[in-house]
Amino acid sequence: MEKTPLLKAIVREHQGSIAAAKLRKEGKIPAIVYGHKEESLAIALDGHTLERVLHSGHRMLEVQTDKKKESVMFKDVQYDYLGKNIIHVDLMRVNVAEMIKVEVPIELKGTAKGTSEGGIIQEHLNKLEIECKAIDIPDSIIVSVKEMEIGDSLHAGDVKLPEGAKLITKPEALLAICSIVAAAKSAEELEEEQPTTPEVIGETKEDESESAEKEK
Amino acid sequence: MALMPKRVKHRKSQRGVMKGNASRTNFVAFGEYGLQVLETSWISGKHIEAGRVAATHFLHRTGKVYIRIFPHKPVSSKPLETRMGKGKGEPDFWVARVRPGQICFEIGGVGEDMAKQAMVRVAHKMPVRCRFVKRRHSL
Repeated sequence: MEKTPLLKAIVREHQGSIAAAKLRKEGKIPAIVYGHKEESLAIALDGHTLERVLHSGHRMLEVQTDKKKESVMFKDVQYDYLGKNIIHVDLMRVNVAEMIKVEVPIELKGTAKGTSEGGIIQEHLNKLEIECKAIDIPDSIIVSVKEMEIGDSLHAGDVKLPEGAKLITKPEALLAICSIVAAAKSAEELEEEQPTTPEVIGETKEDESESAEKEK
Repeated sequence: MALMPKRVKHRKSQRGVMKGNASRTNFVAFGEYGLQVLETSWISGKHIEAGRVAATHFLHRTGKVYIRIFPHKPVSSKPLETRMGKGKGEPDFWVARVRPGQICFEIGGVGEDMAKQAMVRVAHKMPVRCRFVKRRHSL
């Protein structure tokens, strides 16, 4: 990992949706810094720089306000409804040597043996929770699926973690499976399976009770 | 046969109003690639089925298609050459209500090029403007 990036931040005096919208119009992104039993601090960061830092894969960054410099890590990033623009960022205070729990994405590498026999790799979990030093957070965990044949499965416990990292996700959690995709159902098959009209919940019960009364 | 619910509480429903954007189901959650709706609309069960068929035919059992929308809403219509009045018509078809940002289809287990081509075919079957999106990897 390269050097931790330093971002200049402005302390937000006004909070709320209107003030936040104004900031976004100016190209800034509202953010909050919290953790270590200190008071939370509402700040605004430059949108362009923040996006660049995020896309480069950095987890840790330093935030410079007027008063002090703080080491923080990305805790949460909120996007707009189309998933295009960042609208808010949560930053958590960390010590470089501190052990923290983080979710790290999994990258499946290679072509599985089973794919040549008509199988596909289905990813069930795309991130692992690990505990490691803040400075040693990996960008991603690479897992090779080359040896997977049809019917083979990959669990969280099978993944080789970087040195000093401890697995928090349950070891039996399923990450990926190599399986054959069932043939798509044709329109005729679906027609046979599905009723032409849905059952109305209330009506059937009433009908049953009415028929029971008649019998009495 | 188009999609429809198996059991419903009420046979008919009022039209309703759709405002705003999708606040959930607006990110790729199951596959690696998705098709995002950009307009507010009703998507009928027939459209969804046409999209599914288009994608599965193109993928030739190499990938997995996920459908993220379901037609829960009944739409009624009156028979032809019927005078107005005499009550609400009978349920005709079922629709899914979608708002901008909603992911309607997802594909996993194939490369980006293949997924993109499949999604283009699905988008042609949809009655709304759509765009191709990729899964956003978590922090």
